[in-house]
Amino acid sequence: MKRPGFLPAAVLFLVTCLLILYRIWWLGYPVLPVAKGQTWQLMASLFVTPHQEQGLLSLALPSDYIGNMVVEERVLSGKYAFYIRTEGPNRFGVWSGEDIDRPEELTYRAMIHSLPRRSAAVQSPLLGPYPSALSADEKTLTEAVTRKWQALPQTPRFQAVAGALKGDWGDSPPEGEAQRRWRMVQQKLDRADAALALFRASNLPARLVEGLQLMEGVQSLPIKWIDVWAGGSWNHLNPETGEVYPPDVSLLPLAVGGLPAIEISGLELSDLRWSLRRQVVSQWKLFYEHITNSSHFLDRWSLLQLPPEFQGTFRILLLVPIGALIISALRNVVGLPTFGIFMPLLIALAFRSTGTLYGVAIFCGVLLVGYGARFFLDKLHLLLVPRLSVILTLVVACFTLLALMGNKLGMRELMAVGLVPFVILTMTIERFFILIEESGVGAAARTALGSVAVSVIAYGLISWEPLQFTFFIYPELLLTVAALQILLGRYTGYRLSELYRFQSLRKSS
Amino acid sequence: MIFGGFARLRERGVLGMNYRNAGYIMAYNARSSYPLVDDKVQTKKLAEKFGIPIPRLYTVVENHGSIARLPEVLADLGEFVVKPARGAGGSGIVLIRGRRNGGFVTQSGRELSLEAFNYHIASILSGIFSLEGAEDAAIIEALIHPDQVFRSVTFQEGVPDVRIIAYRGVPVMAMVRLPTEASDGKANLHRGAIGAGIDMGSGVTLDAVHNSRIVRTHPDTGNPVRGIQLPHWDKMLMMASVATDMTGLGYLGADFVLDRDIGPVLLELNARPGLAIQLANQSGLRLRLDRTDGAPPDMFLSAASRVAWAKEHFTGGSSAAVSASRNP
Repeated sequence: MKRPGFLPAAVLFLVTCLLILYRIWWLGYPVLPVAKGQTWQLMASLFVTPHQEQGLLSLALPSDYIGNMVVEERVLSGKYAFYIRTEGPNRFGVWSGEDIDRPEELTYRAMIHSLPRRSAAVQSPLLGPYPSALSADEKTLTEAVTRKWQALPQTPRFQAVAGALKGDWGDSPPEGEAQRRWRMVQQKLDRADAALALFRASNLPARLVEGLQLMEGVQSLPIKWIDVWAGGSWNHLNPETGEVYPPDVSLLPLAVGGLPAIEISGLELSDLRWSLRRQVVSQWKLFYEHITNSSHFLDRWSLLQLPPEFQGTFRILLLVPIGALIISALRNVVGLPTFGIFMPLLIALAFRSTGTLYGVAIFCGVLLVGYGARFFLDKLHLLLVPRLSVILTLVVACFTLLALMGNKLGMRELMAVGLVPFVILTMTIERFFILIEESGVGAAARTALGSVAVSVIAYGLISWEPLQFTFFIYPELLLTVAALQILLGRYTGYRLSELYRFQSLRKSS
Repeated sequence: MIFGGFARLRERGVLGMNYRNAGYIMAYNARSSYPLVDDKVQTKKLAEKFGIPIPRLYTVVENHGSIARLPEVLADLGEFVVKPARGAGGSGIVLIRGRRNGGFVTQSGRELSLEAFNYHIASILSGIFSLEGAEDAAIIEALIHPDQVFRSVTFQEGVPDVRIIAYRGVPVMAMVRLPTEASDGKANLHRGAIGAGIDMGSGVTLDAVHNSRIVRTHPDTGNPVRGIQLPHWDKMLMMASVATDMTGLGYLGADFVLDRDIGPVLLELNARPGLAIQLANQSGLRLRLDRTDGAPPDMFLSAASRVAWAKEHFTGGSSAAVSASRNP
């Protein structure tokens, strides 16, 4: 036989492939649903006790730069008003309150994804000013001390300055008098300011950063380091020791450029802690922001642009066609009998709120109660529509009873019974009854069992999160599902159940 | 093991559900022809036009309002059959053989009050038994008095029927469905009736299938099923063949009953005939359908030549002859 379904299926499949390749290749979409790099759950928590009428707290928050991507921020502000202030590359969470009389806990949570070896700035940043603590004379002195390094390329120049900070002037020390005077200046200054001054004098862009080291655990104070631009990227340097942080140490900058990470007024701060925890997250969450800020056509038309309250629906909806595909396969390839085509799918959707165990129990229980009622109704000789209405009423009554029982027993699964498709259940009861009458209990039980099995399989599939994410990011996969459905529609081979049905034909010769 | 099983089925020429649907029903049965067979009233009209005998039609009840007038219409009838016009699988059919206490007596001797009778008609009209659950009509037609030829292999008052599958007008396979106690006197295989294959050439019965198992005797009467010569065999083959011309359905099942007075009458036609007939005959349909496709084109020109060709090629009792001649 010819295969007329093959061409449209191939076309649909090809379109899917092209769209996905475009997204991966040009738009940088993730190939795998699990993320590369590291993801951290950051939580900053603190207690504030007001001691003035007006209280204000400003806390530096992580920003989207130098290979860090911040997603899913949550703030707990109690009675305080909260807003985010941006200043240069920095973001500050500002809590403010008036006439608050008791201590309160404030928290900030975020998920931070750090991509390895990614540099935000491509061109060299501008040189900043000298630290304000430096007088004009001291500036001249610093320039004199560093004069010999000016001719060096960036990286050796950076290494020379870093060495000098440790007291090692290398093979080209400045003259004794200048060195002695510089050491006095260095003692007078904050060590960080001294380092910044040396880098400034050496024409190396540098900045003071307050932040956290990305490692599992709790930190109560941010650490300070100096970012120095040399060799096309930022080098991180500990101003206390002059040591350069090795590349495997990940740092999370909070406040950049000498701004304080924490500022308070009118408040007393206690029990400040930053806790960091490693997490495994799926890629799609990380790409949320990337996609929402993109101007590409496919990104602007991405489902991630939907308001979050509608996204959940589509995560499920996009998998419903797969459920239908599974049902087609189970019916046409395996030969499982089911009540109708879509009834198992709708039951599977209801399992999402009731859970499989309670879902199956509710389905079977209501089916049996309904059968009993239908058996009784048959003797009353009611006409079709009123009879179905009575069963519908019974189903709704059963649901109400289950929900009330669930409430009494504190079982949410039972209270969610209202989401089970009651019209479908009503029709199923009627079909179940007729099937028992016409084909016997065996056939009816097989069909009920088949329906439940298909529902459970379909539920397992549509509640599988990686699959949800994948379809959510690549909705064009629906075309491939359609292609598979077309191909399945052209399956003319035997059903598995026919091996059993025609076994006498198989055995005899 | 699974693929081995599939290969074995293919080797035996067994027709599966999927291939039946895609390769034959969808390919040969135009959707527009379905109403002709799904609605028994239309089938009856068509059959009369083509001279095919049918059970005499007394009346058709089309709406609930006419139920009240029904006793008047049926006043002169001692016995009759009520069936849904669009019924499937024999459901909703009630055989009335007499009256008692103002009500009726069914074929199995059960009493049916007038109220219950009216309720049954109302149920039919509401579409309970119809194929798509849509509103339906109730047919009231003459009761068949079955020919006594299957008396020894029929449970009590059950009415055996003969199913013939016609493909492109060629009767390719046939069986007789014999009611049992388990099937409640109905000639319905999945309710427990037995189906005996029929040799197409001679019209003589073969062994039977009962709930997927091969049986040689009737489970209730204990009499052998094999070797019964069907009367009017050629006539039934001709009727099945003509049914294709009359409906345009290239793949259909024609159901007949043998009336002791009239001979074979057409009960209904089916655009989606089942596959159990293969079990009854212990023979695959696919082989016969493929052979039909390979027949000389002029064979298809008349019903007589199609029947003659089928009788010549689908005989010999066992399928061995068929499969041997398939691969010359």
